[in-house]
Amino acid sequence: MTHPGTERDEAQVRESKRSRQAARIAEAASAGVKTLLVKIFLLGIVDAISVYALFVLLLRADWVVFGAVLLVTLIVNWIYFSKQKLPAKYLTPGLIFLLIFQIFVVGYSGYIAFTNYGTGHNSTKQDAINALIVSSQQRVPDSATYKLTVVEQLGNYSFLVTEPDGTVSLGGTDAPLRPVTDATLDATGKAVALPGYASLKFNDIVGNQEKIAALSVPLSDDPNDGTLRTPDGSKAYLYLSDLVYDEAAGTMTDTKANTVYADNGKTGSFVAADGTELLPGWKVEVGLANFAKAFGSESIRGPLISVTLWTFAFAFLSVLTTFGLGLFLAIVFNDLRMRGRNVYRVVLILPYAFPAFLSALVWAGMLNPQFGFVNQVLFGGADIPWLTNEWLAKFSIIFVNLWLGFPYMFLVCTGALQSIPDEIQEAATVDGARPFQVFRLIKLPLLLVSVAPLLISSFAFNFNNFNLIYMLTNGGPRDVTAGVNVGSTDILISMVYKVAFVGANRDYGLASAFSIIIFLLVALVSVISFKQTKALEELN
Amino acid sequence: MRIAAPETSDLYIPTKRPFNFGRWFSRTGWRHLVGAIMVVFSAFPLLYVLSASLHPGGTLITANGLFSQVDLGSYQTLFNLPQQPYAAWYGNTLLIGGITSLCTVFLGALAAYSFSRMRFVGRRPGLLMLVLVQMFPQLLAVVAIFLLLNGISDIFPAIGLDSQVGLIMVYLGGALGVNTYLMYGFFNTVPASIDEAAKIDGAGHARIFFTIILRLVAPILAVVGLLSFVGTTNEFVIASIVLITPEKQTLAVGLYQFVSQEFSSNYSVFAAGAVLAALPVMALFLWLQKYIVGGLTAGSVK
Amino acid sequence: MMVNKKGLLAAGAVAVAASLALAGCSGASSSKSGSSDAASSTLTVWVDADRAAVLKDAAAAFTKESGVTVKLVQKDFGKIQEQFIAQVPTGKGPDVTIAAHDWLGNFVGNGVVQPVELGDTAKDFQKVAVTAMSVEGKTYGVPYSIENIALLRNTALAPTAPATYDDMIAAGTAAGTEFPYLVQVGPESDPYHLYPFQTSFGAPVFGTNADGSYNAGDLSIGNAGGEAYAAWLAKEGAAGHLSVNVTGDIAKEKFNAGASPFLITGPWNVPDAQKAGINVAVDPIPSAGGETAQPFVGVQGFVVSAKSKNAIAANEFLVNYIGSEKVQTELYKVGGRAPALTSAFEAASADPITAGFGAVAAKAVPMPSIPQMGKVWQFWGVTEAAIISGQGDPTALWQKMTADIQTAIK
Repeated sequence: MTHPGTERDEAQVRESKRSRQAARIAEAASAGVKTLLVKIFLLGIVDAISVYALFVLLLRADWVVFGAVLLVTLIVNWIYFSKQKLPAKYLTPGLIFLLIFQIFVVGYSGYIAFTNYGTGHNSTKQDAINALIVSSQQRVPDSATYKLTVVEQLGNYSFLVTEPDGTVSLGGTDAPLRPVTDATLDATGKAVALPGYASLKFNDIVGNQEKIAALSVPLSDDPNDGTLRTPDGSKAYLYLSDLVYDEAAGTMTDTKANTVYADNGKTGSFVAADGTELLPGWKVEVGLANFAKAFGSESIRGPLISVTLWTFAFAFLSVLTTFGLGLFLAIVFNDLRMRGRNVYRVVLILPYAFPAFLSALVWAGMLNPQFGFVNQVLFGGADIPWLTNEWLAKFSIIFVNLWLGFPYMFLVCTGALQSIPDEIQEAATVDGARPFQVFRLIKLPLLLVSVAPLLISSFAFNFNNFNLIYMLTNGGPRDVTAGVNVGSTDILISMVYKVAFVGANRDYGLASAFSIIIFLLVALVSVISFKQTKALEELN
Repeated sequence: MRIAAPETSDLYIPTKRPFNFGRWFSRTGWRHLVGAIMVVFSAFPLLYVLSASLHPGGTLITANGLFSQVDLGSYQTLFNLPQQPYAAWYGNTLLIGGITSLCTVFLGALAAYSFSRMRFVGRRPGLLMLVLVQMFPQLLAVVAIFLLLNGISDIFPAIGLDSQVGLIMVYLGGALGVNTYLMYGFFNTVPASIDEAAKIDGAGHARIFFTIILRLVAPILAVVGLLSFVGTTNEFVIASIVLITPEKQTLAVGLYQFVSQEFSSNYSVFAAGAVLAALPVMALFLWLQKYIVGGLTAGSVK
Repeated sequence: MMVNKKGLLAAGAVAVAASLALAGCSGASSSKSGSSDAASSTLTVWVDADRAAVLKDAAAAFTKESGVTVKLVQKDFGKIQEQFIAQVPTGKGPDVTIAAHDWLGNFVGNGVVQPVELGDTAKDFQKVAVTAMSVEGKTYGVPYSIENIALLRNTALAPTAPATYDDMIAAGTAAGTEFPYLVQVGPESDPYHLYPFQTSFGAPVFGTNADGSYNAGDLSIGNAGGEAYAAWLAKEGAAGHLSVNVTGDIAKEKFNAGASPFLITGPWNVPDAQKAGINVAVDPIPSAGGETAQPFVGVQGFVVSAKSKNAIAANEFLVNYIGSEKVQTELYKVGGRAPALTSAFEAASADPITAGFGAVAAKAVPMPSIPQMGKVWQFWGVTEAAIISGQGDPTALWQKMTADIQTAIK
């Protein structure tokens, strides 16, 4: 390598070259008018779009959002026209996306934690009432199919029906069926027209289908005889409804069993006196009930300690192994004397370029005790239960995660290494330091300054690395005698999935409450770690 | 600006002294050994994917051994499915991934610059917040983002649901985050004296940023760009909720359909699609490599 | 120039953001307002990629006749259930979606579907299909296909169909292949593929009501037959006939490689087996416990959203177009799944494979769609896996599982 003396001289030369360059640039910078014009033009576009949005919102009378847009627009204009607010000029573009797409998601999750949103409670009360009424319509067993022509008079729709025995009747929502005699019949004996009424063609029916589908024509004055409704506009069937909604009292009555279901104001559903619940219900705010459930449920409390310990161990070991390997490789391939570095590097990032769930499937196959490559070839046909023994499964998870994660760390470390001047190493080597000492005492601390935050965030990512666990072991192996759906490789987040999302049931409220708890846990660990890196940074 | 010294020494050493295996091994040879081991480690599992892609009707397991059959049928199938426009997905992925990673690098660099060079109230907590926000478990992200884009669709249909711009915007929500921190760390290693010199010469903050700093931090910009590109192209959950029309979807969304059929998963076609999908990432890496490690000037800055 | 660039991007970002901020906040509220009337003459249908091609023609014919535009939206089949439940309440969901019958309990419980009146056409469908598409006596969808597992036989290795389980083992052993027969089990077992053996011991998961629907109050999995089945699992596990190492992929690979004369699987694996040069026949699954081995039947069909503003058009499209013999036959051709319409099924039965699966389906039972079923799987599979791997006393494990399920579904 070159002599340190010349190196320093070179650096000085470069330094002065750099300041000359800076000076040239500075001269060119004085032409500020053009810049200002462009700035005004661009802000004008922004404002035009904002004004359009404000106009739309004005028409919708959506005042909260209107206010928000107005505020953001004003702030943005203020920031970019101000001579000050330099940091804001740099931060605003990114921050706005962050606010909308990340903070909103977090805020929404936070809100959901205080509701009962989930299976059976996923919409409004009105939707629930409609769904209950619609699904309580029961076709009267063995009742006839009525041939139907929908007719219209003065904007009101009526049913012109032909019974199987040939009787023709007319009826509307408020007018029970009554026989008519002057209807025109077609070749099949179906009544198709009535004087004074306009018959609707299929196109007309489709055009007004919401009203027609909602038509319900009483068979007689006695509501217990049922009503005629049409699903398709050409046939009518006789229905009876078990459930009646009393709008004034806000109750649902099951006419068959004579049970009254009332909205108790708490669970977001109609509940009978004996506690029977009608589903679907609707979304309501439930206060801290989800948090109480999160801490109170047996399936959580039992395995909580072991799962939490494993989650920490898994996240920590994952970061340690991936970073260790990634850093090692970055250093190995950061030697300019080495030929073919590019080839190695490209192959090394391969695991990162394939979809993770595909890789997990491959690994699950390779680790199959009987047929997998690992046992069959590497261990000569041994029957090692990689994914079904408690400890081996934990090892396998960390190992596969190493495979999946080291390219990321390799890339990051390769990038970060470039900020460490070679001169430092050279100087130290000349002073007689061994390569490892140089690395441990000089390079590593420098590297950690820029990489430590990534390690913390990688820790947080792995803390919530649901996909890996789900795809490789699904939390298993599980102790079936424990009676709890939690296995030995389950981490907190996969346990939450199993508790809140059973089969097709989704308890989003509970899941959100858990998210918040887990977030607080991770955030706490991270903040403490950041305090450490701050110390690190100041060391530098 | 290039460092000439190491390159000359590279050429210089072997010509001067006779070849000595021991010395070669202790200097660079062992690195090749590590490299060879790592190549096997990283690439071997993927051979299963490649093998599966060449075996129409096969599975990922291929218990009968690798490459028992070599047939490009699955690759042909990929481009001949009218309902699954693979070529369009490919283009969309490059477009969305490219724009997202460019914007991410840009927005992130802007933020990192202000965090590194300016002092303002809330700087430290702000940095911390950026990282903490992304730690929130994304259990409900899909529901929230659907509602959000649904709302946007009501006002600007062009950037709401089923629009690629909308998806890019959602991705840009993550532009500030841990990557900003990575850049921030790197920016800090660029000595402030350079800024000072330029400032004394009358350059404005924007000019310093764009013409001086950005060039000096190119390695980390390239790294962040690559990370963002890979992250975007592999992202599946949000893309599948935002993009509805098949012609607008991305590779991650489209490919997943091949294996998510109720029972009849088509691993072979999926594997073929994944193999082709990995090519742009590798090409991008090859191209960016010269910015990441190609003898940049970072070392000479101090 | 650089300054301008920054300004440009910043401005772009701000523009977008400004408009988004508002939209963002409005998300939750505006979603309630639902879709506008402009959409009322368009029928939006969610369908997966394979079926989309077939429906395109049916949709075009329907549009020509009725003037209603049909918009086919391609969806990932595995994602439909969750997205439908999430999107229907916002008013942005589709009018009609393709669905598997076992989602229906969940759909009804969430109030996102409305009943479909098959009217007199109900009798034109196979009975099991209509039963499967019904919840509490009301039909919620127009079925189009039926699928179930059966015994796939490599005729070169086993010339005749085995009558009993022991016959099958004997024939398999005589064939001298690596496995006497294959069924996918996997590390968490596969209760779906093992279910015919379980029912052959007379231990269905739930008892049934008079009308054929499942009774969640009658958990019959833990009866004496269930215990006998558990003991059988342990025995077969020890004998090496059942192994948790045999996953679906491995079972398929091995069968296609001729490593076993028998494979218990569904029609979805037949094309690849034939492509691998295997001459297959489809037989009933032999009984292990003496009673008929009944697999689960899965029925697929189309359902109508509870918030559809096009209920009449949707109903018309489903009953008269999807339910037509032509469309049912076309759908059969792309998926290989037996049509639900009896006349289409009879036509399709000219193919011995379809006829073979159909014969098994005639004796099979629908997979329970009651919500309680969702809580059964999590205990069922791992317990079977533990028994097969010989981890503990089969009866005790089975009873523990029954007790756990009982607690979970309460």
